[in-house]
Amino acid sequence: MSRTPPSAYRTAAAVGIASPRLQKSLRGIQDRFGKGAMALWAGLEDKELRHRVKAARLRTLEHLDIVLAELAENIRARGGRVHFAASGQDAIRYILEVATRNKVKRVVKGKSMTSMEIDIDPALAGAGIEVVETDLGEYIIQLAGDRPSHIIAPCIHLDRHQIGALFTEKLGIDSTDDPPTLTMAARRALREKMLDAEMGLTGCNLACAETGQISLVSNEGNIRMATTMPPVHVALMGMERVVATMDEHRQTLQLLTRGAALQKLSTYVSFLGGPAGTGDPDGPREFHLVILDNGRSRILADPEFREVLACIRCGACLNICPVYGKIGGHAYHSPYCGPIGAVVTPLLDGINKHADLCKGETLCGACKAICPVEIDLPRMLAGLRHKLAYGSDRWNTRQHSPAEACVFSLWRLLVTHGFLYRSLIRIGWLLQRPFVKKNKMIGTMAGIAGGWTADRDLPPLAGQTFATLWKKNYATRRPPAAVTGNEEGA
Amino acid sequence: MSGNTVSLFIQCLVDTMFPEAGTAMVTVFDRLGIPLAYPGGQTCCGQPAYNSGYRREAAAAARHFIEIFEDAETIVCPSGTCVHMVRHHYPELFADDPTMAERARAIGARTFEFTEYLVDVLGITDVRAEFPGTVTYHDSCHLSRGLGISRQPRLLLGEVRGLELLEMADSDTCCGFGGTFSVNYPEISTAMVDDKIANILATGAEAVVGCDISCLMNILGRLSRRGEKVRVLHIAQVLAGAKGERR
Amino acid sequence: MDNQNAFLNNIRRALSLPPEWQRSAREVPALFAAADTGPILQRLRSRTAAEMEQLSELLQKNAAALGITTHVVRSHEEAARVVVELVTSKQPEFSDTKQIIHHDHPDLAALQLWQHFAREAVTVHTTFGADRQLREKTIASFIGITAPAIGVADSATLVDLTGPGRPRSTSLVPSIHIALLDRKNLVADLAEAYALLREKKPPDSLVFITGPSKTADIEAQMVHGAHGPREVHIIVLSSSPAAAAAVETDNPPGN
Repeated sequence: MSRTPPSAYRTAAAVGIASPRLQKSLRGIQDRFGKGAMALWAGLEDKELRHRVKAARLRTLEHLDIVLAELAENIRARGGRVHFAASGQDAIRYILEVATRNKVKRVVKGKSMTSMEIDIDPALAGAGIEVVETDLGEYIIQLAGDRPSHIIAPCIHLDRHQIGALFTEKLGIDSTDDPPTLTMAARRALREKMLDAEMGLTGCNLACAETGQISLVSNEGNIRMATTMPPVHVALMGMERVVATMDEHRQTLQLLTRGAALQKLSTYVSFLGGPAGTGDPDGPREFHLVILDNGRSRILADPEFREVLACIRCGACLNICPVYGKIGGHAYHSPYCGPIGAVVTPLLDGINKHADLCKGETLCGACKAICPVEIDLPRMLAGLRHKLAYGSDRWNTRQHSPAEACVFSLWRLLVTHGFLYRSLIRIGWLLQRPFVKKNKMIGTMAGIAGGWTADRDLPPLAGQTFATLWKKNYATRRPPAAVTGNEEGA
Repeated sequence: MSGNTVSLFIQCLVDTMFPEAGTAMVTVFDRLGIPLAYPGGQTCCGQPAYNSGYRREAAAAARHFIEIFEDAETIVCPSGTCVHMVRHHYPELFADDPTMAERARAIGARTFEFTEYLVDVLGITDVRAEFPGTVTYHDSCHLSRGLGISRQPRLLLGEVRGLELLEMADSDTCCGFGGTFSVNYPEISTAMVDDKIANILATGAEAVVGCDISCLMNILGRLSRRGEKVRVLHIAQVLAGAKGERR
Repeated sequence: MDNQNAFLNNIRRALSLPPEWQRSAREVPALFAAADTGPILQRLRSRTAAEMEQLSELLQKNAAALGITTHVVRSHEEAARVVVELVTSKQPEFSDTKQIIHHDHPDLAALQLWQHFAREAVTVHTTFGADRQLREKTIASFIGITAPAIGVADSATLVDLTGPGRPRSTSLVPSIHIALLDRKNLVADLAEAYALLREKKPPDSLVFITGPSKTADIEAQMVHGAHGPREVHIIVLSSSPAAAAAVETDNPPGN
């Protein structure tokens, strides 16, 4: 029964499964938002909305060179600066330059997964710059030195008591576990930080090329603060987070806010295209947009996976996935968790490195059903497994498990040779006999199959297969009496 | 009623571990007077290999299936996941071979899941079955989301004399089987099937019924380990009027 | 710009296009072909007073569901009384003095708010364009008042366009946001709002505001007032007869 030690994915998954707090939160979020989104889609008046937005997303991807050039030109016309960053390091270098030039001592961040993807915080800290997350959930995570576990609700794995103790320790407030009181404490602490920061660093939910603007969505208002009060605003966007026209923007936004939190609109949707204009009374005096590739063009180049770039990062797939719903976000070891993370993380960061994400789902299809833009994540998970099965030069991927490949070679031999197949089933039936328990089930198995019997019984092979029974009881009988036609029953 | 001879494709798990689901299907077809054939040499549709990424091996299984069933008028299978494989993935597997891809498409168009065939093709919802007792129904993933079949089994169950269907919560949530997933990630799989079992038990039904033996095997395996008394039945067993437990 | 060329060339390669083909928007006109918003604009401009009243009622209903308080008034005097009542009854969150700030907008000037606070010590600021102390005044104010260019009935959304006299921070930094919405600026849904914005070209900065600032990050419990205003009040002013809605921006046509 000796098995290789469980992977980081399995270990973290087991921790998540064992946490009653996390299980309760995940169930709550899935019951409300997952089911809510499915009900919303079922009740959409505009039945074609999702198809249309998906088609527009794919069209934009096919013309991404044009759309990004247009976006850059229109933002520059508004006085904004645009930097195209091929890699995370390139983006970090540019943002550090902007910070240094502006003598930035503190950066306030709006929730940005892209900034986590490039891991910019240590670089800023290394330059002596204080980095403050301003989304309440992200702020809690930062204070706790933890990692987010949901795209939209980063600290669902922590309960009010843990957060209360954390605030008492870090913010010096009186002990409480009352969410409104805790929120007010964070409001006060962060207000000072946001009013005093020299730079706001945000992501971008959806840029619009036609108008030359990015748009940012939030319920808390932290992103508005970070983009309004500091003298410099830097927005970091993955190169695919763009639409061509306002019309597409509206339709995509409607799916984004519904998919994320069942809202017709989030509390704030900010459209920002440049620094404060000459007559504008407030707003940053510098606006920078950093457009990031960092592996996305390789995804774009592969027709099998291009579709994943249509994602609008609403997080709806997390709210329905039965695997995510048990293990939580930490197991994914990536800023992108859940079903979307299971596809995009290997593609951005290495298929072999994240083999567990490719294989650790049941392909049940719930993520595809809930996705506002109908992305076929199960198809792509199967595609990733295909790369793992044989290796892939295009993806610098080596064969994941020669042993498994061997098993499937043998399997191929069996399923293509009926006689061998039948013989092996017979042998299996003979060999299993010592393992069959009184309840006529198999309780323990060795080797790889031991995974199954750790917590489950296995029905044994039948003494007589259907094929045998057919030959014995049916093959030579008369056609059934009730037959209406003249055909023979084989 | 269609006079087509139905060629049975008996999913490998049904063939080897749950033959009673296969014979129950024969009983139902016999009662309806539908002529049957069972092409010899059939093995596995190839789905385990496909889902694990081994497309060359899956394609070999697909080719074998196509050769065995090429002459069949109508193919009926007691498994949604196998039909999903044949109908949706076979053509993909032969994307580079137009002749094979066409043969795959053609065979996919005449391959049906058991309840789908009864309700959608034959237009039958009442198979004159009797099954006294309460059951709850599990929607398997590839059947319900992949093939869009969730109405058909309920219509059939609705006509069974003496049967009361008690719907469980989240009936279309995955049971956690996922083929090799359940062997590679047993902790996650068990946590998922425990949720499913909680929903099954909450209905108070005497039996859980489904159209896919793979899910049912997973649920049965966990129920057995936990010592729960709920019976696990393939829908064909209910429609055959089967009394008494499997094995 | 070299950076940009290299970046875009890489995308062209990914799309299997020759990198030297620097195609532009002109070569794929369909990509930026805008849907014709003419019918939408015509529809929203031909609404009767009764239809505008229906929109107002819809706005109130949808606002209530989001925790927004609406007040329907028929005159600037009545609107002023609502504001005064709020200023009087609410307490500042971050300071000891009562200061309020409002956009430099004719409808808000018409409230003549400074006249109403003879007895109570309330400082009324206006966001005049050239004010160098705007930031301090905004931070010191506990109520910010704006006159949104558009109100969207379907989602209870306010659209504030940034421009001279209309800073972004007025609807953000104070604890309470009051929006004086002329009923003629009400539209039915987001499609109509976008059509209006598109017609006049959006300014560099604008914001859709839908309800008070909120968070549910701690155990999914909804709390109002995360970072922005914890209260939003919409005063719907229906003094003038229903008329064509118009977006006011400072962008000259064709900008």
